[in-house]
Amino acid sequence: MGSFRFDMVVGYWPDIVDGALLTLKMSAVSIGLGLVLGLMLALMRYSRVPWLDWPAYAYIEFFRTTPPLVQIVWLYYGLPMFFGRDLNEFWSAAVALGLNIAAFFAEIFRAGIAGIDRTQWQASRVLGLSLTDTLRFVILPQAWRNVLPPTGTTVIYLVKGTALATAIGVPELLRVGQLISLETFRPVESLTIVAIAYFVLTYPIALAFQAIERRLAASRV
Amino acid sequence: MAEPLVVIDRVVKRYGAETVLDRVSLEVRTGQVMVVIGPSGSGKSTLLRCLARLEPIQKGRILIDGVLSAKGTEDEGPAPDKTGGHDIGMVFQSFNLFPHLTVMENITLAPRRVRGMAAAEAETQAIELLRRVGLEDKRDVHPARLSGGQQQRAAIARALAMRPRIMLFDEVTSALDPELVGEVLKTMRGLAEQGMTMLVVTHEMGFARDVADDVVFMDRGAIVERAPPDRIFSQPAEARTRAFLERLLEREGGTRRER
Ligand SMILES: Nc1ncnc2c1ncn2[C@@H]1O[C@H](COP(=O)(O)OP(=O)(O)O)[C@@H](O)[C@H]1O
Ligand SMILES: [Mg+2]
Repeated sequence: MGSFRFDMVVGYWPDIVDGALLTLKMSAVSIGLGLVLGLMLALMRYSRVPWLDWPAYAYIEFFRTTPPLVQIVWLYYGLPMFFGRDLNEFWSAAVALGLNIAAFFAEIFRAGIAGIDRTQWQASRVLGLSLTDTLRFVILPQAWRNVLPPTGTTVIYLVKGTALATAIGVPELLRVGQLISLETFRPVESLTIVAIAYFVLTYPIALAFQAIERRLAASRV
Repeated sequence: MAEPLVVIDRVVKRYGAETVLDRVSLEVRTGQVMVVIGPSGSGKSTLLRCLARLEPIQKGRILIDGVLSAKGTEDEGPAPDKTGGHDIGMVFQSFNLFPHLTVMENITLAPRRVRGMAAAEAETQAIELLRRVGLEDKRDVHPARLSGGQQQRAAIARALAMRPRIMLFDEVTSALDPELVGEVLKTMRGLAEQGMTMLVVTHEMGFARDVADDVVFMDRGAIVERAPPDRIFSQPAEARTRAFLERLLEREGGTRRER
């Protein structure tokens, strides 16, 4: 022990890259699922139609108030118990995290849509625009401005959150770090290199969101 | 005489326990300009919004050119025809342009998406409409760059782009600085001269006097009186109409130019 021995873990970089790629893949699946489902939930809530609003409300509160780690375990071990079919580790974690993050996206989108004046809906309606066209061309393009910053934060949060998949043995970044640590007896160095890898993954996302925000701000007349 | 273009037949509209329209009946013929006046809260906006199908009605029916457009949710009978929809254009007090789109995009969006018009055709039409409302040089500008009067004229062009048969105007000059009111009224006069059927809620009595075929006075959710402008302004039949007009003249007296 004693000194910081980065050289002992650097040689594991191919494993780190593999783990990072898996983290990225899992993030992409979760975010994709979360965005689509989150938008649907937001619209269900915004509709104020009780039989749409209420299930969406229940969903959002359930997934916001229970630990994502538990949700992953439920899906991984629970699905076969109830349905006799299972998902592998990767998909269990990716889907569970997607279902979880959808609740957060839903709240972000709902606030974003609610921030658009009702008169924009009325103007669209009188012009004969369909509901989907109203959302696509009128409401969502305006909601983006408000929705983008918290969405960026949530995306970054999710990328790091995929580390929870370690619990069911998915060989993503954190898991790789743990394995290196077991082989080298160098936990600090192993986790430091993992942290650097997370930074390399998430910082470009943060920059990208900042760039889009700047462009939107500039195009605002 | 021909069938009226708009038939409002004993329409009842309630918000919760409050009855906002109480068996309102009104007929408007093709090419007629109807000005609706009345105190705040009398149901003028609600009447226009029900006509524009922005609000369901509880009882009664609305026919557009003989076709059922809306029907009381508490009434029996066949459902209204939703396919013939885009015959009514509406302009709001607060313009309600789409702020993220240019003037041109504001005008072409609905013709393209709803009418399936090709982009080039929609733009040609928009340019013609912009000329009509005097905004031909503003096509690529966003609404925030326009004055209130210009925004309202763009909103009129946007509504006209759907080639409506009836135009509804809900206090469209009330949010404007006084010096910008005239340009919007001028656009509306032009429309009236070209034979557009119009229902206009306004406090601009000069406009009502010059342009309206009939003036309708509403109070507490009911139509109290309907008469040509010269008659309703000089010798209203109902005491309530007279009281309202007197109050209006008192308030406006001297402070605003005659338009
Ligand atoms: N969305 C609404 N919900 C509840 N009450 C409403 C709503 N819109 C209008 N009202 C009520 O209906 C009445 C008529 O309103 P409105 O049609 O806006 O009157 P006007 O346009 O003549 O001023 C008012 O008492 C108003 O409070
Ligand atoms: Mg009103």
